[in-house]
Amino acid sequence: MNEHTHNRVSRFQMISLVIGLIAVVASVFGAFTNTKQFFFSYLFGFLFWLGLSMGCFAVSMLHQLTGGRWGWPSRRFLEAGFMVLPLMLILFIPIFFGLHYLYPWARPEEVSTEKVLFARRAYENGLWYIVRQVAFLLVLIGLATRIRVWSVRQDATTDALPTRRARFISGPGLVIYALLGTFASIDWIMSLESHWYSTMFGVIVLIGQILTAFCFSVIMVSVFKDEPSIRATLTKTQYHQLGNLLLAFVLFWTYISFGEFLIIYSGDLPHELEWYLHRIAGDWKVVLITVAAFHFFIPFFLLLFRALKKHATPLTTLAVVLFIMRIVHTYWLVMPAFHRDGLQVSWMDFTAPLGIGGLWFAFFLSRLKSAPLVPRNDPGLQFAFVYAES
Amino acid sequence: MIDHAAPPIKTTPQAEVFAHSDPLPKRLYGLMAEFTEHDQLLHAARKTFAEGYRDIDAFSPFPIDGLPEAIGHEHSNIPFVTLIGGMIGGLGGYFMQWIAMARLYPLNVGGRPYNSWPNYIPITFELTILLASLTAFLAVFVFNKLPQLHHPVFNVPEFSRASIDRFFLLIEAEDPEFDITRTHAFLTTLGARKISEVET
Repeated sequence: MNEHTHNRVSRFQMISLVIGLIAVVASVFGAFTNTKQFFFSYLFGFLFWLGLSMGCFAVSMLHQLTGGRWGWPSRRFLEAGFMVLPLMLILFIPIFFGLHYLYPWARPEEVSTEKVLFARRAYENGLWYIVRQVAFLLVLIGLATRIRVWSVRQDATTDALPTRRARFISGPGLVIYALLGTFASIDWIMSLESHWYSTMFGVIVLIGQILTAFCFSVIMVSVFKDEPSIRATLTKTQYHQLGNLLLAFVLFWTYISFGEFLIIYSGDLPHELEWYLHRIAGDWKVVLITVAAFHFFIPFFLLLFRALKKHATPLTTLAVVLFIMRIVHTYWLVMPAFHRDGLQVSWMDFTAPLGIGGLWFAFFLSRLKSAPLVPRNDPGLQFAFVYAES
Repeated sequence: MIDHAAPPIKTTPQAEVFAHSDPLPKRLYGLMAEFTEHDQLLHAARKTFAEGYRDIDAFSPFPIDGLPEAIGHEHSNIPFVTLIGGMIGGLGGYFMQWIAMARLYPLNVGGRPYNSWPNYIPITFELTILLASLTAFLAVFVFNKLPQLHHPVFNVPEFSRASIDRFFLLIEAEDPEFDITRTHAFLTTLGARKISEVET
């Protein structure tokens, strides 16, 4: 990163830190006026940005394992993205104080009357929730830090040992991500409803995270596309591949989201319908239709066109739309558990994600500055430059 | 007694027969340059196209990024035909279920509407994929005039390595720019390992 870019990144880091802090302070003010709304808004904002970090973690492990030209310009953005995980662990702490506002299993009066919650109380209780989340994030942070350390260490040596090590833990790392992530998404979102369960739910959340990370890669790569080191590895081919990956994960997300709905629709059982009834009530239906249109139909048809995937501007625009839709979808997953009769937007629904996002970005940019923008000496890198002229 | 031994039969080796008969006059089909590296081929293809040659073809054991564009393949009709096939599959799939379940033989399944569209999606989806992929498969055959059992490039012995580890660039003699000596000289400048004349 040259002097000029470095200064611009530092300035932007400062701006996002200030915006983040202002929005967080505003949200904390909201916590005293409408505590329950605050915790729901906070959980929604937190889960989106945590999801982005987790998605970056999964995608960068994926690239360690499979290679591919799309990953060379985007790798360092993904790494900086998952290195925000320690901050997310700290930002998790406020939620631990609001469990009884969020989760029916944390309200003793509901647990004593509700048979299902009573039967689950050995697993779903405040203490175990906190232990599980902290342990989960610590495992993730441990793995992520190792991958980052080895990736950066490879920059200094031509011996491929660090890459081999990063690759060695990426395989088990992906399995751990999928297994623990499924458990975690049950805790975070599924248990917001007292009866509902779905075995597909964890997969929907994790695929959403990976899709978010791909959108983020496309956006970041285009923002930094004039940086010499990025430009050397970035051509139409890289955009094309990233566009294909977006298409694949949009399709995958739609497939499992609709699959879950279809099974529950066919079964028509009260304890399963609860989830969807809260999520189509009133204006939530409008949100659902928006998600269906902009998270599936429009991106799907546009991403079929090769011309769109090969050019930076249209692809980046689409990635921004999908990124926003990822926020809306997270909102649609979390918030109807609170506003069960219909959409009710609060100002905290904007300040909480903005505040967490501001802090996330400030931390992300500081991590980004600490290493070269494109990895060096990685054995796979030789193939990145062969085609760079095309 | 006169020995009536049979006169020795005059035999002609097969090869000689063909060598002498020569039923088809050989015509020059084109010039083929052989390369050892894929980026050499890509580079050569771009240079050749820039030189003004249009009746060119490239052969490689694996897909090379940018090669179709380098030899002037801008548009392919296959995506469009596939889209049409997919749409026929999707609409047809939905229509078959709708006509059967909502019009001809309405069934009340657990109080759902007759046209309960979520249940029709799997079949609609599957038929979209099925017809789209079948159309694409057939379109490849039709547009490439397959099956084609012989092609002049097979007359070059080295060409058997086109599916193993060699890369070939062919300039057809029909190209208006084609001139045997000039084209040969041009191909030499591209760093080809060997240049062969392809005969029909």
